[in-house]
Amino acid sequence: MIRTALVCFMAVAPFGASAHQMVVFASVDCEAVTVEAKFSNGNAVQQADIRVLDGENTLQTTVPIKTDGTATVPLDSVDHSTGLVIEVDTGSHDNYWIVTPEDIAKNCQS
Amino acid sequence: MKKYFVTTAIAGLTLAAPAFAHYGMIIPDDPMISQEDGRSVDLTMSFSHPFEMDGMMLDTPVAFSVTHEDTTTDLLNELQSATIMDDQGYTLEYALDRPGTYIFAMEPQPYWEPAEDAFIIHYTKTYVTAYGDDEGWDTELGLKTEIVPLTKPFGLWENNVFQGIIKMDGEPVPYAEVEVEFFNDGAGATVPDELMITQTVKADADGVFTYAPPSDGWWGFAALNTADYTLPQDGDDKAVELGAVIWVHFEEWTGQ
Repeated sequence: MIRTALVCFMAVAPFGASAHQMVVFASVDCEAVTVEAKFSNGNAVQQADIRVLDGENTLQTTVPIKTDGTATVPLDSVDHSTGLVIEVDTGSHDNYWIVTPEDIAKNCQS
Repeated sequence: MKKYFVTTAIAGLTLAAPAFAHYGMIIPDDPMISQEDGRSVDLTMSFSHPFEMDGMMLDTPVAFSVTHEDTTTDLLNELQSATIMDDQGYTLEYALDRPGTYIFAMEPQPYWEPAEDAFIIHYTKTYVTAYGDDEGWDTELGLKTEIVPLTKPFGLWENNVFQGIIKMDGEPVPYAEVEVEFFNDGAGATVPDELMITQTVKADADGVFTYAPPSDGWWGFAALNTADYTLPQDGDDKAVELGAVIWVHFEEWTGQ
């Protein structure tokens, strides 16, 4: 199911980052999406723009990144019914993580 | 009649050829899981002759675990019995909840090999990276015997060298012998001589070995040493071969 959903998402997800040195991940529970961004040497990303888009590529919100490389997106602040695409852009590096509706449903149950 | 005897003798010699190398195997469906691949990895565990695709009985392992971010989780009870290469093996679908390197490790039960008059225990492991994060690729698990990678054990092109340091009880093993074999699954590889089914390299004085495979695919490295203990068999004490096995995938070069 997740694989199918991801294939659909890829049609609207941003082009894969050419810089592979930044890792973006997001976990989700019933309350919020927690975004984590770090460089491949383990250092936290401290300055970046974080854009949150829905599954149809419509911008939902932007959030600041904290100095520990994390950010929080309250679920009630966005329309997550079609999933979310979390873009992190430092200006010289960019990457993204896709939160599928299945991710939200699965982790909200646990 | 003479010709018959000669033919029989030759056949006997052929049958008495050196036994092919045994390998514990942990093979993921993909060693580099991206978010587009899904949220889990499928593993297949077996005990086999991987070049010949000849399976052997893999009894319920003594231990099976995953290590991620310095935390080791027991997965023994999660294994699913399966037939692998026409013999007993196991499968496991494991959810990858976070980025990073996941190291799957198996300690099998001692395998009695009459042909070698010895037991075989292959401490087997493989490394899987999730979601573009390779942190932890050089993790040492602290197994009884282990190949600790000096080369990142995934994301390698075919013909890249792979280096590892062989350890026994946490210490390097100088000049240890490492058998190398290709998992010939669907590849149709053949050899001009049976000697080439299993290739052999030796570690240097620091226990470091180097190998460059000729093709993409899964390659198994087994550092073999004799244990400092014996196990009983039919009333006698028998030697125990300890194998430190690591499986590494090499990717097909995409350039022209």
